[in-house]
Amino acid sequence: MEVIVNAPFQLQGRNPFDDPLDRILAEVALSTQLPPSLHRQAGGRYAAVRKHLEADPAFEGQIEHFYPQGSMAIDATISNRGTDDEYDLDIISQLGGRFRGMEPLTILLELERALANYPVQKIVRQTRCVTLYYSDRMHLDVTPALRAYGMLDRESFITHAKGPRSSADDRFVDMNAYGFARWYNNRTPLELRMAKAMHEHWLRLEKNAVSADAEVDEVPDQCDFIVKNTATLALQLLKRFRNIRYATYDGRIPPSVMLSYFAGLAAQPDMTLSDMLIRQAKWIVGEIELASLYGRKLHVANPVCPKDVFTDRWPENIAQQNEFARHLKEMIDGLESVKRGDLFADRLMEWLRGHFGDRVVTKAADRMADEIGNGVQAAEQRYSRKGSLLLPTAGAIAAAASPAIVSAKPHSFYGVPI
Amino acid sequence: MLRGVLTIEEQRARMKAVWPMFAARSLDRASQSVRWVGEVRPQFARFMLEIRYQVGDVPDVRVLKPALVRLPENVEGQLPHVYPPTDDPTLCLFDPALKQWDPTMEIAETTVPWAFDWIACYEMWLMTGRWTGGGRHGSVLPSVGFAS
Repeated sequence: MEVIVNAPFQLQGRNPFDDPLDRILAEVALSTQLPPSLHRQAGGRYAAVRKHLEADPAFEGQIEHFYPQGSMAIDATISNRGTDDEYDLDIISQLGGRFRGMEPLTILLELERALANYPVQKIVRQTRCVTLYYSDRMHLDVTPALRAYGMLDRESFITHAKGPRSSADDRFVDMNAYGFARWYNNRTPLELRMAKAMHEHWLRLEKNAVSADAEVDEVPDQCDFIVKNTATLALQLLKRFRNIRYATYDGRIPPSVMLSYFAGLAAQPDMTLSDMLIRQAKWIVGEIELASLYGRKLHVANPVCPKDVFTDRWPENIAQQNEFARHLKEMIDGLESVKRGDLFADRLMEWLRGHFGDRVVTKAADRMADEIGNGVQAAEQRYSRKGSLLLPTAGAIAAAASPAIVSAKPHSFYGVPI
Repeated sequence: MLRGVLTIEEQRARMKAVWPMFAARSLDRASQSVRWVGEVRPQFARFMLEIRYQVGDVPDVRVLKPALVRLPENVEGQLPHVYPPTDDPTLCLFDPALKQWDPTMEIAETTVPWAFDWIACYEMWLMTGRWTGGGRHGSVLPSVGFAS
């Protein structure tokens, strides 16, 4: 027998569709993620914006790098707070020598001018970027940056200026979004089984959507895995929970980049989705409680750029961080209760809606109900010897190999109305 | 070769082998009847199921715990795919008109996984208001009428 000793080790991860709670959580995450069609479009839009800028005399030959930052760079994009179908994507435009020596506001005004005629619904200059609003509810933030030479790759200064006139508060802010994305991605490697399961489920949903809407372009069979590991899927759920919990909150909320940092720290291969979500939430609670114990505000900085402080605008005080810890503890308690089987389905649904949003949870449950129902009607449901339901496909594969799997013979429910 | 009606011992042995969580209680060899009780968790919640069976009859399946939540205004009725009485419903797991069950069949391979199917569909019904497991409602109570 030939033994391959140098075969690269490939993490597999856990299929979120193998467990009922993970299955509905994965469906919730799928309903909040950037849809594959928009994901594919995003790359084209980045290139088009860069091309448009480079055609402007002020920017010609001055764009050194043009790369995604934030959630898009770590594949954790979900819909905005307060929406189910609007997405913010971020681009860093690293600018060349012509812009060095310019004031932050001047750079932002130059960028706004160069994008003024860009064919989108609306263009808005913000404090640190210029936002392009597309008709399909995608928002693209283009943030100008100047490379900080002598530092790690792509460490940069980004512009901060409220405008419309210069003020004493205008400044450049040190950051390294690129380095952070690399740090996060290194800590959360591909888990093949998990990524394939999500990808195939996604393709199935898209194909169904295509058959329901003839105007949608044909869906390709193959594309890159978008969510590559359980840690990132759990991070999406954590962000979604934060968005729902703070939906009506007026003011700053726990920042996504801080949540991503903790997700990176807590990452561990081969965990179930619900266990990973609990682990991330407990990790954050622990950090908050430690800071509060010593009367400190939570301080989280970019692990590759200490001056890039992720908690510079939240929390504003200790009470705010304690409030977030309370929310997280409540979510942890609920998840643990569901995992023990203590929550009946009607209360589970209420709980999910309260924590992840009415519309996406309804959609997730509808999809799951259809799949379960189809499995029952086609006699494809499989049960373990402990009596737990197995995913139809996984169950079918396992059934062929294991006598420990029981399948139901075909049957039709009957009954007398009561 | 035609299969014969399974004795209560055969049904009990098969249940013990396949679903050990179902303990046989009240086994009565004289009347060829048995009552199994077991806790199962096909999907989200834990259910205590009772299966009563007398050879030649139809297995009766009840949820002993928890009390089943009902949806009074639902199009399927307040509790879908059960037999009366209202205060002590039994699950209706096969269509008698389609002759999907007879006493030559193993309860372990029919009634039990069908009950799990019912629970899975029931939980999704509670969550969505839709019964997606198919089937129909009628007015006739089943009688197997199987000659051994």
